[in-house]
Amino acid sequence: MEDDLMALYPDGEQDSQALYDKIVELINEASSLHSGDERCANLNMVHDLLVNRCPQYLDNFFDEFVAFQTDNYILVKKGVLNFLEAACDKDLEMLPKVINHLTLLLEDEVNDVRKKVMLVLPSVYSNCLRWILSARSISTEMENTWQFLNQMQRKIIDELDSVNDGIRTHAVKFTEGLSIVLSEKTEDSILTSRTANYTTLDSIPNNHSFLKWTKLEDEGKQALDSLLGFLALSHISSVNLMTCIASLTNIARQRPQFMDRVVKAFEALHVNLPPTLAKSQVSSVRKDLKIQLLSLLRHPCSIDYHTQITTLLSGLGATQTEIVKNQPKVDERRGKR
Amino acid sequence: MSSNCLRIAVVCSSNQNRSMEAHNFLAKKGFRVKSFGSGNHVKLPGQAADKPNIYDFNVSYDEIYTQNGLLHMLDRNRRIKEAPERFQDYHEKFDVIITCEERVYDQVVEDLELRKERTTTEDCVHILNLDIQDNQDEATIGAFIICDLVAMLAESDDLDNDIDEIVHEIEQKCQRMFLHTVVFY
Repeated sequence: MEDDLMALYPDGEQDSQALYDKIVELINEASSLHSGDERCANLNMVHDLLVNRCPQYLDNFFDEFVAFQTDNYILVKKGVLNFLEAACDKDLEMLPKVINHLTLLLEDEVNDVRKKVMLVLPSVYSNCLRWILSARSISTEMENTWQFLNQMQRKIIDELDSVNDGIRTHAVKFTEGLSIVLSEKTEDSILTSRTANYTTLDSIPNNHSFLKWTKLEDEGKQALDSLLGFLALSHISSVNLMTCIASLTNIARQRPQFMDRVVKAFEALHVNLPPTLAKSQVSSVRKDLKIQLLSLLRHPCSIDYHTQITTLLSGLGATQTEIVKNQPKVDERRGKR
Repeated sequence: MSSNCLRIAVVCSSNQNRSMEAHNFLAKKGFRVKSFGSGNHVKLPGQAADKPNIYDFNVSYDEIYTQNGLLHMLDRNRRIKEAPERFQDYHEKFDVIITCEERVYDQVVEDLELRKERTTTEDCVHILNLDIQDNQDEATIGAFIICDLVAMLAESDDLDNDIDEIVHEIEQKCQRMFLHTVVFY
């Protein structure tokens, strides 16, 4: 895509008006293209132009871009959701509009759209915190936006009990994100490129007039509790179990203060895998658990749990070589002692 | 998700035999498929993993290239694409990735776990493994099973909800076991 754009504007011709005209052209063309993939390609270019090259036009073209949410091609709809996520990350003033659209899309009849909303929402949530924290005073618009966001949060947490397996899987991913946003980073947190710039609980002052630190901390703890409870369900499907294992590992790596609870939960799971799993699913789950435990083992803060983790890993068929290879280096461990 | 929308990758070790046979079958049925290898090098399959292609001198070229299937592979592969591709070097997203042996599955999962550390947008991918021996006959049988599986996945309106049942059904049908996981990357 980068190359395509460079080809459009060689030799410094990227002046503002030319880019504006190009955006108009790409959006108009996208509306008339028959192929879903071609519409996606056009919209990806518009996304890149608006988010990375000329964010001053974000507001101008926001409605035109988001109008593609009614497209019948799922990848176009997902592209709109990626755009909504990126737009408010670039310009916090977009949040009221973004939240309005996300509220509608969370009710979309297509499950894949609702699931994608759940994936983009933790980042949007974090930006909403940043927006509120940056404001001198809390406007009615801010209050309403925050309220809509909280309604969505409650709806998605409820979806952990959905009858639809895929919706549950994505509700787990949202709950993971919520747990990370609503807890404190430590100096040992190993963040991903998505979460590295998140505004999280530690950015909120204790005495903030609108955001109640203790309440938000409780919600973060409840999110983690929900995942730990979900992991222990006896009728959980293998896909949801593996997603939950990965989510808890992500939380423990990014919030090592929860390492203890996560390792204990994995110990309990190992001796008590759901009886409903088929033989091949047991193999898949054991393999996944091994991968995630190796990832925990590599974390410097897991040093106090190495006995438990290596016992689990041996039980899951990891070789001594694999275990040694995934242990942090000696000086790294000393540093964390 | 409709069949023309489902983005499928088939991955074996060298992107020569098993993934290409499945690629060939799936492409002919109109699925949106790409194929890859996950190894460090491209190796050509022999009769079995421990039986490389070794011949006496004076065995005719015809026999060497036709009996071990190399000529067939060349004909098939170059009709599909120009060169083998390495999975780890390709960065577009898929909805379903099917691997042809457990070691390849491990490599794909490991690679996606690394990618998720640096992703900017998050999506869900299902990874499924069917063990297929690396020879011509088994590659064909494997491709049939993969085709059946993909046809069933493509018929589903809600893949994430139905995939467990579909995998169970195909396991019963072909009496083979699949590994299956999801990664968000």
